[in-house]
Order: sequence, then C-alpha cells, then structure tokens
Amino acid sequence: MDFFTESFRSAFELITANDPEVISAVTVSVSVSLWSTLFASIIGIPAGVAVGAYQFPGKRGIVTLLNTLMALPTVVVGLGVYGVLSRQGPMGELGLLFTPQAMIIGQTLLAIPIIAHNTVSAVTGANPCIIPTAMTLGAGPLQSMIKLVSEVRFGIMAAVIAGLGRVIAEVGVAMILGGNIRGHTRTMTTAIAMETGKGEFAFGLALGIILMGIALIINLFLNTLQQR
Amino acid sequence: MANALIKMTSIEKRYGRSVALSLEELTIEVGRLHLLSGPNGSGKSTLLSILALLTRPEQGEMFWGDERVSWNSGLLNHLRRKVTLLHQSPYLFYGTVFDNVTFGLSVRGIRGNEAQQAVTDTLELVRLPGFSNRKIDQLSGGEAQRVAMARALVIRPELLLLDEPLANVDNESARVLEEVISTLPDNGTTVVMSSHDPFQHERIPCRIISLLDGKLVNTSSNHQSSLFVDKENSRCPTLKMREA
Repeated sequence: MDFFTESFRSAFELITANDPEVISAVTVSVSVSLWSTLFASIIGIPAGVAVGAYQFPGKRGIVTLLNTLMALPTVVVGLGVYGVLSRQGPMGELGLLFTPQAMIIGQTLLAIPIIAHNTVSAVTGANPCIIPTAMTLGAGPLQSMIKLVSEVRFGIMAAVIAGLGRVIAEVGVAMILGGNIRGHTRTMTTAIAMETGKGEFAFGLALGIILMGIALIINLFLNTLQQR
Repeated sequence: MANALIKMTSIEKRYGRSVALSLEELTIEVGRLHLLSGPNGSGKSTLLSILALLTRPEQGEMFWGDERVSWNSGLLNHLRRKVTLLHQSPYLFYGTVFDNVTFGLSVRGIRGNEAQQAVTDTLELVRLPGFSNRKIDQLSGGEAQRVAMARALVIRPELLLLDEPLANVDNESARVLEEVISTLPDNGTTVVMSSHDPFQHERIPCRIISLLDGKLVNTSSNHQSSLFVDKENSRCPTLKMREA
C-alpha cells in the first residue's frame, strides 16, 4: 500500500512541478492527436455524409467495412504505414519515419473510420425530411447538403471527439512510427510504457493521471454533445 | 377557362408494382385555390410531391406555363424556387423562428434588413408577432405549423402546396391558417391543398380535385363564401422584398 501512496505522491509532485519530461510528452501527444484528428475530419466527415445521405450499390458493404476498421489494431496500422515509410518502402525517400509527421499519418488512418462511421450514423439517424424541406424552400443540392450537415452538427462533433479520444490514447502507432524519441516523438502513452518498464512507476503514473484527465474532459464534452 | 399554371398529361407514378397515381390530364389554374380531396391512399401526397418537383413520375409530361418540366436539367432547381410544399407535420430546422423563416430567403441571397422586414411582416401575417427569436422547441404544435407557413410564404411562391396543414393544429391556429390560405389567391398565389375535412370546401371558395385510387374522379368549383374568414381583417399585408 505504501508503494501506491508513495507513487501517487511522487506523481502529483511531478505534475505540479511542471517536469519538462512530462510537459514534453503531453505537448507531443496533444499536438499530434489534434493534427491527426483534423486531417481525419477533413476526409472522414465528407465521406461519412456522402455515404449516409446517398443510396448507391455497395453502401452496406462500405458501412460494414468502416465498422470493421473501427476496431483495427493500432499496431497493424503502425506496421502498414511503417512499411510504406521505411527506407525500402515506396515513400521511404521522404524520410518521415520516426517523426511526428509519420505519427500524424498513422493516427489519421486510425481516426478516419471512427469519424466517418459515426458521421454516417449521425446522418442516417437524422430526420429524413431535412433535405426535402430544404429543397422545397429553394435550396439546391449543395445547399441542402450543407443544411443537413448543419442539422446533425452535434452528432458530427461527437464523431470528431470520438476520433480524438481514440488517437490520444493509442500507443501502437506512436511507438512504431514515432520511435519514442525523447523530446521529439515521445508521447504520453509511449512514455508510460517505457518508464514503467524501467521501474519509474511514479513517472508513468503522472502521465497516466494526465491522460485520464484529458480522456475525462473529452468524454464529458462528448456526453454534453450527445444530450443535445 | 383560367390560365394554366401547371398542366399534367398522362402522368403515372408507381411504388413497386402498385400505381400510386395515374392521371390522364390535370390542370392547376393560376391564382386559384385547389382543394385536393380523397381518402387515404388516393394519391394526394404523391400528387403534391410531383407538383413540388420532388418526385419524378415514371410516365407523362408536365408543363409549368409553356415550359416543359425537364427532370434532369438545372432548370429544375430554377422551377423549384417557384413552388414550396408545406407538410402536415413540417420539419423545423434547429434554431430560432427567425432562422427558419429566413432559410428560403438566404438561399436566394436575400439577407439583412430586407430579410428582417420580410420575416417581421410574414410573422404578423400568421399572427406570431414577436416570435422571431423564440427557439423552435418552445413552440406548440399549432405555432410550429404557423412558423412553417410563414417560412413558406416569405419566399412568395407562385405555387403553394399544402398537405393537410390543419390536421394536427389547435382551433386558433386552424382559424388563422385557414384565414391566411383563403386570401392567398387574391394576392396571386396559386394554392393546392389536400384535406380530409369534408366541410372545408364549404368555408373556402375553391376548385375541388377529387382523387380515388390514384385516379382523378372529379373536378368542380365551389364559390361559397367562407364561414370562418372575416374578409375585412384578412388582407395579406404586402411583403416588401425583391422577386426571388
């Protein structure tokens, strides 16, 4: 019991003392996660709206695929992108491996299915009268689609938050594509894994507390949106 | 015979194998109120949806004035701006009454004071002055229907289609809506309204279009004066806005 008490005390000391290692890991985590969520939203939201709003052959297959990809193991994504970005890979010349950009690419791929699938759910769950109502008031196809997105904006925002929650807590992509380089690509999750392995339980605990705090804030925000 | 706003010939609409609507010929006359009557499943809503240019019939031709309706062209969006359809349970967009009533204006590029004045005038017309900033979830069913009516009227459609607009509203709202509807033809708006009310044609001067099993069975005119409408107080205020 003393071990836990002492570890928690040390963890809170690290957090309140603004330990540079802790600050660096938090900064990299939040920065990489926000960028990857932004890029995944740019791709996932229009794709989700298109799949949700239109009827076309193969639609059910695409929704099933998105549903499956939501459960994609992070290490598998990391492995796939590693193959592309490694020196022998097709994009090896870009030298992106073990950089934050590589982590952003991997996490973007991880978040796209989550954001797209949740956007599809938001659009298909919307009132079917939205588009006909907009059209009968004179809106063209694009204006009607914009109105639909506006009407389901809280569902789409929830999709984005769910994507952010997924990437900020993942470790596989960050470890494989970032390489856990101190002050450069070391995130909260990779630091927790490494420091705990070294026996620095308090350090890992400090980052774990911050990560849980961020996850809590994200989920509170998500719940607020879902209740609207 | 009055001028035809819309002329439909040999129109047929199917849902699967069943024929929802089969009309040899139907004319919607300019500046008249048409009352669409018939039992459930007689094709009233399908006809309204075709007239609103939202549903494409499998067969037949449709003319808007002298212009043949082409369902695949950009012209369709142009024609859609001349017509609007108000449902029995209309969908109101998230936000305020103002957000809803200005929607049709904003898609036509009308904003600012012009839009503000048009909204104020139209809300007064449906007896909802001061409702502009009210959230839509704070409206009763009757108020919501009147807001939807204001949203349809503010764009000054040439053709207003009403799908049982008085079916689910309180007496006060029904009285206001019926009063507004009855004055529209005097202002040049052509109206087609479906109704289950067997006495509606006795209250509003109208041309009755009777449907049964998707077929036109009768058209007749009734010019009796309204029981509900107080003609002295039912004039439509002029909406000052540019033509859409």
